[in-house]
Amino acid sequence: MRKLQAVLAVAMLTMVAIGVSSCGSSGGKEGGTLTGSYASFPELDPTVAFSAEGWTAMYDTYLPLLTYKHAGGEEGTEVVPALAESLPEVSSDGKTYELRLRKGLEYSDGTPVKATDFTASIERMFKLDSYGSSFFTDIVGAEEFAETKSGGISGIKADDETGEITIELNRPRGTFTNELALLYAAVLPADTPAKNLTANPPPATGPYEIVKVERGRGWTYERNPEWAKSNAARIPEVPSGHVDEIEISVARNSSTQVNEIERDKTNWMQTVVPADLYSKVKDKYEGTQFRIERPINIYFFWMNTSRPPFDDVKVRQAVNYAVDPAALERIYSGALAASHQVLPEGMPGHESFDLYPHDMAKAKELLAEADPSDREITVWTDNESPNNDAGAYYANLLEELGFDVKLKTINADVYFQTIGNPSTSNLDTGWADWFADYPHPNDFIEPNFAAESPFNLSRLDVPKLDEKITSLGEEQLDAQVEGEYAQLDREIMERAPWAPYGTNTVSTFVDSEIELDEVIFNPTMGQDLTSFQFK
Amino acid sequence: MESRSPWYLAYRRLRRNRVALAFGALFVAIALFALAAPLWASHVAHTTPNATHTTETVEVDGETREVVDREGGPIGPLWLGAGGRFFLGADGHLGRDEMVRLMYGGRTSLFVGITAALITVLLATLLGLLSGYYRGWVDGLIARVLDVVWAFPVTLLGAALGLALALGGLRIGPIVISGDSVWVPILIIGFVYAPYVTRPVRGEVLALREQEFVEAAVSQGAGPLRIMFGELLPNVISTLIVFFAISVANSMLLESMLSFLGVGVQPPNTSWGTMIAEGFELITSSPLLTVLPGAMLLLTVLSVNVFADGLRDALDPRAKRRLEVHAGQTEPEGTAA
Amino acid sequence: MARFAVRRLAGAAAVLFAVSVLVFVIFNVIPNSDPARQLAGRTANPQLIASITREWGFDDPLPQQYLRMMQNILTGKVISYETEENVDERIVEGIPETFSLALGAAAIWMFFGILFGYLSAVRAGGPLDRGLTVLAVTGISMPVFWLAAILLNYLAYQFELVPAGGYVGITENPLEWAQHLVLPWVTLAIVYVGLYSRVLRSNMLDAMGADYVRTARAKGLSEHRVMTRHVLRNSLIPIVTLFGLDFGALLGGVIVVEGIFNLNGVGQYAYESLINLDLPPIMAITLFGAFFIVLFNALVDVVYAFLDPRVKLGSSAR
Repeated sequence: MRKLQAVLAVAMLTMVAIGVSSCGSSGGKEGGTLTGSYASFPELDPTVAFSAEGWTAMYDTYLPLLTYKHAGGEEGTEVVPALAESLPEVSSDGKTYELRLRKGLEYSDGTPVKATDFTASIERMFKLDSYGSSFFTDIVGAEEFAETKSGGISGIKADDETGEITIELNRPRGTFTNELALLYAAVLPADTPAKNLTANPPPATGPYEIVKVERGRGWTYERNPEWAKSNAARIPEVPSGHVDEIEISVARNSSTQVNEIERDKTNWMQTVVPADLYSKVKDKYEGTQFRIERPINIYFFWMNTSRPPFDDVKVRQAVNYAVDPAALERIYSGALAASHQVLPEGMPGHESFDLYPHDMAKAKELLAEADPSDREITVWTDNESPNNDAGAYYANLLEELGFDVKLKTINADVYFQTIGNPSTSNLDTGWADWFADYPHPNDFIEPNFAAESPFNLSRLDVPKLDEKITSLGEEQLDAQVEGEYAQLDREIMERAPWAPYGTNTVSTFVDSEIELDEVIFNPTMGQDLTSFQFK
Repeated sequence: MESRSPWYLAYRRLRRNRVALAFGALFVAIALFALAAPLWASHVAHTTPNATHTTETVEVDGETREVVDREGGPIGPLWLGAGGRFFLGADGHLGRDEMVRLMYGGRTSLFVGITAALITVLLATLLGLLSGYYRGWVDGLIARVLDVVWAFPVTLLGAALGLALALGGLRIGPIVISGDSVWVPILIIGFVYAPYVTRPVRGEVLALREQEFVEAAVSQGAGPLRIMFGELLPNVISTLIVFFAISVANSMLLESMLSFLGVGVQPPNTSWGTMIAEGFELITSSPLLTVLPGAMLLLTVLSVNVFADGLRDALDPRAKRRLEVHAGQTEPEGTAA
Repeated sequence: MARFAVRRLAGAAAVLFAVSVLVFVIFNVIPNSDPARQLAGRTANPQLIASITREWGFDDPLPQQYLRMMQNILTGKVISYETEENVDERIVEGIPETFSLALGAAAIWMFFGILFGYLSAVRAGGPLDRGLTVLAVTGISMPVFWLAAILLNYLAYQFELVPAGGYVGITENPLEWAQHLVLPWVTLAIVYVGLYSRVLRSNMLDAMGADYVRTARAKGLSEHRVMTRHVLRNSLIPIVTLFGLDFGALLGGVIVVEGIFNLNGVGQYAYESLINLDLPPIMAITLFGAFFIVLFNALVDVVYAFLDPRVKLGSSAR
């Protein structure tokens, strides 16, 4: 806001270039400098970033061939074309994907975007050992490339003249369209070095580019001049943004962040409002500056079905009956949206049901019937609030049910590695959460319940279910497939390998200068920087 | 004139120091408070320090109130409104009894502080005696090792060790200590403070070593053990006592710092340090949860520090006497013959 | 003299080497903390972990890994496991904040420490002495982070007297620089004033009974002159030593204060690295901290040896 004069001049010129199409629909102002705060410094390299913070930071800077529609809720789960002309043409056997790169696109450094840049970007993912590479190992030649890091990926063919890109897969992969829209697959110049470029981010293709990075402290965006010049008109699916500059700073203490927003010193905080201040902020600002958002995640207690006492389905169902939503509501300070199934609301394929409404008497009855002989169990949880409290509550609950409980609290940074490590002993039950990488139900079901999956904490191994998971995973998502996923959700919950308890909501909290209603929260990518507008 | 032992004189001097005695009594009161934890828990509060009461209600003056409201806000202090239950309120989302936790937390904090101080003083005595008696290469070696530990910023060393051991536990020969045992911070703190006490002890032993009575003992054929424990040790005991008291204070503070950073006492154990860390999350909505354990810790450490000062004055009359003379008070009391 | 200095500094180098080995050993002995897993992220598959292990050399023998880590630290090429940024650069960037905090607070507590200690000593036994002693002891009996949290909550959040943390460079805006640092300075000062005031008081009391003081009084010097010229000056030397010795404890205070007030200095970096189990920064910061402690102590020893004859002479002057 301090540099408003100079910025407005630039904004005028930019607006003339862009035309009316990019203006907001309401009467908000164009231009201005948005200030925001994060609680941690994310990766600013699209190929490596695996955190929600990183994705929010780069959603409008780096564009893959496809992207998620710039909308909230269910609408925001739709995949739309970005650098590609249209959604891929998938062969009938599901193994070949054809796309065409739009003509005339440029990077923020002025160089043209080429089809072979896509191939190089995917290869870069493997060279950097990015977490995202696990979604692309089904491409022909990818695994070999991952091993040797040389020779290129034979399964991707790209023609710079025509812009045609053909991807061959080893087996049909129903989630691939979704995966192509992830930031891991963002298209970067082919000569981008194969190292983490957070300190000096690569050139952008989206409406905003990152111009300055101070490690650990913050970074700044400015409008990407090439966007207005070359890309904006060609990519109508991506908005051009209202503000001219965005300054992000990292502030470890989230209470301080809230304080700054209340004092109108910062425009927006990406961090969730802490539990301490949640009800106060909600009561005071809901509707004017505060809005609850539902990302796609599920919080649950897993139970190891491969060893007693949780090898008995009755015991697991008893746990599901025993868990009290009222308790968890309090533990999450009211920010929890209760749910007792695997697929949360907002995920395609979700159909609400509750097989085990809270009933302590029923729980004890089932437990008496099952009468497990091994009552010594270890409950695991991490040390971050409020998950540690959820774990403590759960441990207490199991004691009430008649188990002899030992609670182990593990540092959050090694928690999942510890419980995911097959050699850790006494992995009976514990807390966990799961966040969607993309809004496709397979992303929830396959990693958590496929027998082969290393992340299958409950060790569920039912051949019939496994077959269904695999075969559904090969289908492209449509209404019928969604229905089958809903059915699968129910079948899994009938076996109760988990006691899911809800979605942890997040919030959009802005100061009095920002139009709250214009801010878009995409369930996969978070707040859309192009939607922020000053009043 | 009757000759009195220096201990008796020290005792009398201490008795006259009313401030030190008052704070000593305060410390005893706090210790009793902590020790009474199981009694309070079972007879008054009817719960345990880790039992959760998230969805329960209490009857207060005929009114039914939630222990934890729907937004996770804990109930405030009820004092005797519910017969002693939730005397100081609930401790956050889980609705645990804050008074019970405060008492049990005190038990852990005191236990860790005192035991760690004991370890520090024992280590320091041993090393100081060995160093001062043998001098030469033994002294050199011990001094080098102390230098290395000393070079570490205390908090970083304690935190690094705490982190490593919390994750993996400790295995010394046949003894296995689990990562979340309370012995982990005890051993770490005891070890980390050892150099600070060893140096002065070593200095004193070195000085004593030169004195005639030691030479005499050596010429009489007394062995090293006899000299160390029979001649040298008794003369450093007063220093050790004072350092023990100071170490208790420092150990309790270090434990709270480490627990605050998450690398000290591990859940499900509770100490005042872990309680401050937990209270910090809710500091704006329920500041009492942070203030209470911190205030208890402050009072405890304060009383130990003041009492330690009094001990020092009592055991080392020179400084006190000079003070009294200078302030124009009564002349110095009779000296031992 | 020179030989002593060289020997002392060589000893210091040996100590630093031992410190580095100790830190490395501590962190590489943790089970369940596979740095490759940490780098790979939460749900990494086995191939990814294997690939990272190969690339970063985590399956090399430990001594080799140690040497590589040390080489990286000394040449400024250490890469963090958590954020993959250059650790040394991040440390260097944090130095202005940490120095602003530490030196500013030190100036405050030294000033008040000396003032209170002096007043306590000359009015020893009286009510002023007792009052100041109570304040001093209360200060050192408080956990620093607790005081920080309480002050932050009441003075910054509730009553909005001062900004709630963050840092503004002194070159950018000196007024705001001071404003943002007032609360952190006061927090540290309250806790450490007591240490110095009590030591000064006790040293002065010792000195007041010394021969050279009696001589000065006998010579007819005014009480005030005696106190400041002779007693105070000689009592200050141990204060300097004390600062060096307590430096380690001071660092602990700096770490938590920076974390709570979000000052983005080296202390906060240490705080975050500890919480994130990030070995490279912890090693680098510990080494830098140890370096300063050892260097300071070595220098103090050398200076003392240099001053030695004068000190001896001073205390037994007729």
